[in-house]
Amino acid sequence: MTDLHTAVIDICDGVLTPADALAFVSDPRFGGIDMFIGKVREHNLGRVVTGISYDLFEPLALRTFEEIGERARRKFGAPMKLYIAHAKGELRIGDIAVIVAAGTPHRDEAFKACRLAIEAVKHEAPIWKQEHYIDGDSEWSEGCSLCEEQREAEDAAKRGAAHGHDHHHGR
Amino acid sequence: MKVHISLFGALRDADPRGFIELEAPEPCTIGELRELLRDHLREHAPNISAGLIQRSAFASENEILHNHRALPENGQLAVLPPVSGG
Repeated sequence: MTDLHTAVIDICDGVLTPADALAFVSDPRFGGIDMFIGKVREHNLGRVVTGISYDLFEPLALRTFEEIGERARRKFGAPMKLYIAHAKGELRIGDIAVIVAAGTPHRDEAFKACRLAIEAVKHEAPIWKQEHYIDGDSEWSEGCSLCEEQREAEDAAKRGAAHGHDHHHGR
Repeated sequence: MKVHISLFGALRDADPRGFIELEAPEPCTIGELRELLRDHLREHAPNISAGLIQRSAFASENEILHNHRALPENGQLAVLPPVSGG
């Protein structure tokens, strides 16, 4: 699908560039573009963060990005251009961790496609975040299980109790 | 068959090499491999909780492999703890 650009960018090789995403999703047919930029922030859950290491299973991450793109296209219809890029390696405060951009004829599909894609990247792509704190401690973030059987068990448990979405996602 | 399991995220602490090799019977399902990995880690990496293995998924380079699936013929797998991208 040439209307989809997916990338994993090792921070040693370069940075994520919003202008590149904007250029990719721009098209004479499109009057609406929405872009989500996720950056490393300096606080999480009351602790001072000095940086984040991102670990990825790259081949499957790229496959997952492609599948997400196809899902967005099926759901909101063509024409659409979608850009999904995630950083890998040691990021500092303010560095860009993820960019998702969608270009469509009108704003509604652009907003919706962008939202679908970033939520899917966070919940489905094989990516792991390790936060480093000012006191020298480090911790891998709690995340979403990709194990179907486990998810079903957790969903069943949630249905049994009043459920707030308590995942500690960064941005 | 010999199975090569790549480690990611919090499971990297299970082995500094970044992978674990296990001997699996043939045939073997992902669910059975999960038990083998749990037993292996209980012995060799007791700092890794059994709960983390329970919440982890197995995958090839192309797809998530659920418990009922057979091991891939090339014996190459990844074990994926709960994800936290973005």
